[in-house]
Amino acid sequence: MNINKYPEIQPKQKIIKKIYIFIMLFIVGRAIEAAAKVDRTVKDIFNGLPDGFTFYLGVNPGGPYMVVGKEKDGTVKYLGWKLYGKKISLAMRIKNVESAIKVFTFQESTALAYNYDRFIVEGDLPRALAIVRVLDIVEVYLLPKIIARLAVKRYPHWSEMSPMIKHTGRIRIYIKAFTTGLIRVILQNL
Amino acid sequence: MIMPDFYDFCCRVRTVSGNKALEEIPGLLAGMNSRRPLIITDKGVEAVGLITVLKKAVGKKLSIGAVFDKVPVDSDYKIVDEAAALYRSKKCDSIIAVGGGSVIDTAKGVNIVASLGGKSLLQYQGAGAVRQKLNPMAIIPTTAGTGSEMTLVAVIADTDRHIKMLFVSYFLLPDLAILDPRMTATLPDFLTAATAMDAMTHACEAYYGMEKNPMSDSFALEAIGLISRNLLSVMKNPGDMDGRLALASASTMAGGAFSNSMVGLVHNLGHTIGALCHVPHGNCMSILLPYGFEYNLHRRASIIGELLFPLAGPEVYANTPKKDRPGKVIEHIRQLNQDLHEVTAGRHPRFLKEIKNRQGDPMVPRSMLPDIAAAMMMDGARMHNPEEILPDDALMVLEHAWEGIPLNRKKVRKG
Repeated sequence: MNINKYPEIQPKQKIIKKIYIFIMLFIVGRAIEAAAKVDRTVKDIFNGLPDGFTFYLGVNPGGPYMVVGKEKDGTVKYLGWKLYGKKISLAMRIKNVESAIKVFTFQESTALAYNYDRFIVEGDLPRALAIVRVLDIVEVYLLPKIIARLAVKRYPHWSEMSPMIKHTGRIRIYIKAFTTGLIRVILQNL
Repeated sequence: MIMPDFYDFCCRVRTVSGNKALEEIPGLLAGMNSRRPLIITDKGVEAVGLITVLKKAVGKKLSIGAVFDKVPVDSDYKIVDEAAALYRSKKCDSIIAVGGGSVIDTAKGVNIVASLGGKSLLQYQGAGAVRQKLNPMAIIPTTAGTGSEMTLVAVIADTDRHIKMLFVSYFLLPDLAILDPRMTATLPDFLTAATAMDAMTHACEAYYGMEKNPMSDSFALEAIGLISRNLLSVMKNPGDMDGRLALASASTMAGGAFSNSMVGLVHNLGHTIGALCHVPHGNCMSILLPYGFEYNLHRRASIIGELLFPLAGPEVYANTPKKDRPGKVIEHIRQLNQDLHEVTAGRHPRFLKEIKNRQGDPMVPRSMLPDIAAAMMMDGARMHNPEEILPDDALMVLEHAWEGIPLNRKKVRKG
């Protein structure tokens, strides 16, 4: 038998989709760091987590990843896209690139993706639920209402988040995400 | 019928159901090359003579390695380790679990340690720790409610660390579920009511939940029909063995439905009330089920309306206009709770404030409601509810359920 007649099938790399997901994870990671300073609920959720708690959200197989940690002084930091050398307390991985694209193009809300078993969660479930809540809040700040409604289970009623808080929070989060510490995190991960 | 974009359904438990199903066990175990099972149960089951019934049914065809009857109300890893040591010392090759949720969860834990080796269940914590076929396991439920015989989950406490450890693996699904009405015949009426309403809630929440799919829907609809047609007749005539068998089948089918479609608000709040106030699970379920429907009505009206068919029968369904069906479903469940309250002489509570302990003291004081509403954020069932639920929403639902008044739907936030 000539084995060369049966070449190994190499999976497609899906580079464009991975780059898109990488950019989205980068923005969300930076926005979580900013939201932990701006939004009271996000702040309270991280206050309930232990110092040193580090989680990542990523895509199987091989990334990209977004690592966020709560430092010993209680501040929340986006730690970049590399897992190496970080002690992970909670891992949340989307099972494959196609499922991740559905989530990050808002064809599926985070809750629906969770219900469709798109996520693999390793770690404490209550903490994973808290992080999903953080992601929902951050999406409301980052995205216009017409898109955010697709991303979250229930777009916040005005009694939950007034337009004033939402718009000022959005401006502050965008400014913080793209200014303070941006160069630092890029240099640390290169 | 909603056809989801994606679903994942697994139900590979061989279910043997019948008035003499216990007699089948020796042959079924022999088919899995097993001849020396360890029986795991609790003192209550042993005391009412159910192990004797089992031993008599299997006769001399099966060599029982040992009977371990020390399972407490909440499964504990130390008990699991003790039972696993007994399994090894008696050279057992399989497990028969006889009991309710705690016994079944303990048996699943014992099977992990006994099959994979090691000294303690603590070695197998974490996702993906159980990755291979375990030894044969048969489950004989003695309550028609938990549906644990169809689930891939075991919840086992670590009392030293004050946590509940969750073990999830398809390998935790048992090989056999044996449904025999003799095993639920001794259940007191108020427990028959509470456990059947637990199964009813599994089926209803699976049917209107976010993960609903055509396969679990078929399990859920049939389970609701069986409970609806048989529960009150079994309550009035406890010796109705056919009715008891129907309830046992319904419970198992509801287990198959919810283990694939998951559960929502009712279990989210029910788990939390159970954890903080130590209220029996079935009571929480029956009280909260109408509120689960009401809270999700704006997202699931037509789906909830479909439940009128198995609940009330074809005549009522056909005579009710489509727009009125969801309301009629809620009314029907409330009436069922009222009927059970009357049949049990008040032992089946209708509202949270009616739940009392043996001394007659209320188990859910109103002052606890804000704590319950805050703690429910840590329960995984929240993710599967169609409508978002946050502490303010939970408090609003709990206040209505405590008083026993229908939910003011104007207060439900729709975004």
